[in-house]
Amino acid sequence: MADNWTWSEGSKMKVCFVTTGATAPFTELIRAVLQRSAIDALRDAAYTHLLVQYGVAKDVYDTFAIDARSHIQTQPEKGELIIEGMSFRPEGLMEQFRLVQQSNGLAISHAGSGSILEALRYGVPLIVVPNTALLDNHQEDLAVAMERSNYLIRGDVNDLAPAIRKAEDFRRKMAQFPPITSGKHRETKSFAAIMDETLGVLE
Amino acid sequence: MAAPAASSLYTTTFLLAILITLLIAASLRLLAILPNGPFKPKPFRRRPIATRVLIVLGSGGHTHEMFYLLRDLDTRKYTHRTYVVSSGDAFSAGRAVEFERELEARELEREKNATAQDPSSTNTASRKLEEEAKPACTGPSHYNLVTLPRARRVHQTLLTSPITSLYTLLCSFPPLLSSPPLLPGQPPQNPYEAAAADLPDLIITNGPATGVIVVLASLILRFFDIRGAQSRGKCRTIYAESFARVTRLSLSGKILVWCVDRFLVQWEELEGAGRGRAEFWGVLV
Repeated sequence: MADNWTWSEGSKMKVCFVTTGATAPFTELIRAVLQRSAIDALRDAAYTHLLVQYGVAKDVYDTFAIDARSHIQTQPEKGELIIEGMSFRPEGLMEQFRLVQQSNGLAISHAGSGSILEALRYGVPLIVVPNTALLDNHQEDLAVAMERSNYLIRGDVNDLAPAIRKAEDFRRKMAQFPPITSGKHRETKSFAAIMDETLGVLE
Repeated sequence: MAAPAASSLYTTTFLLAILITLLIAASLRLLAILPNGPFKPKPFRRRPIATRVLIVLGSGGHTHEMFYLLRDLDTRKYTHRTYVVSSGDAFSAGRAVEFERELEARELEREKNATAQDPSSTNTASRKLEEEAKPACTGPSHYNLVTLPRARRVHQTLLTSPITSLYTLLCSFPPLLSSPPLLPGQPPQNPYEAAAADLPDLIITNGPATGVIVVLASLILRFFDIRGAQSRGKCRTIYAESFARVTRLSLSGKILVWCVDRFLVQWEELEGAGRGRAEFWGVLV
């Protein structure tokens, strides 16, 4: 189950990793990434491996993975795309993000702030897909603001292909996160500095 | 002429007058302790040898963000850490212990590098002196974990949540007042232990309901100046709004924007929210 995927210098491996949230899985995202249009977009961009963290929604993943695999087999000339799934990892997702980082791959995530922050620390291109079914949707706000600042690409759960196509170009121009200076010509402070200032002490 | 009997004072008017006087006194006191307008740096004082910081953790997302915020925490400055978690939140408790282990490992690494560089140089020697004056404060004796009953369980009706919130409020006083001594009943042996046994210098939270209650409890301590909470400048509070909040404050934020010393937001759109109280200094996580 993807544990034997290892990257070596000069290999053609290119990994796309999809994480859907551990607690309440975003099943629409699993469906979206295994859709034919998304699979085609991934193959066009020379991805060789697709890893889907489905959380507790294994049945959803299994259903759509069968269809995606049979779709891949109808066009063998476009190269192979290996699809695998994984459940929840208590030890975290460091291994998976490292694989994406090394293989110049792509991460696709639900719009939870924890997942966004984690993925961005690895400096990999990230597509974030807000769950539009949620009430009080501040996920959408965050994704819009992050996209505007050039930290990530916002994907549409109904069609992920355009976002996947955009990712190749985005890789070159994405902004570093956390930013060294945020906004335009303004003073920034670290949280540690604010703590010291609030305490009102001098070194 | 004989003085009127004391019972003649028990009139509605008199009672009302007392009530109004108390109300005015309380409002004046509240005005005095509550922050007024944007944060202004206080005159700087020398850093005490030891300080205690109390960190309120929340469920998954809040806890994640909190440890991103605290990533540069210097244990030489913040010598005792108290982590507050809600009952049943094993994840946050585990993350706190893990974070403390990271702090410890980071310190060991730094020490190793310092000795490996060049043990004879004066630079290292002076640094060593400095380190002896201000040792890193890591390890289990420099932090403690506190579990508070949940203010509101998921699916709990609003009708019973004021009662459980009040219970959480009561339970939050002991951990605020002091963290437990290393040995039961033992008085503090050094400044570090004294700081740990005292009120926190700083309280940090980022949005869980428990955080709101702990801040309110600290306000009560300041209101009555219990153990010098107000007069000694203890229990200063920092609220960091979640990075996920771009255009609207969270419910906790809307409440706490009036109560905390520093109210931080992470998106420019929210700068100045709460009548100019929200500060934006860039992304903090």
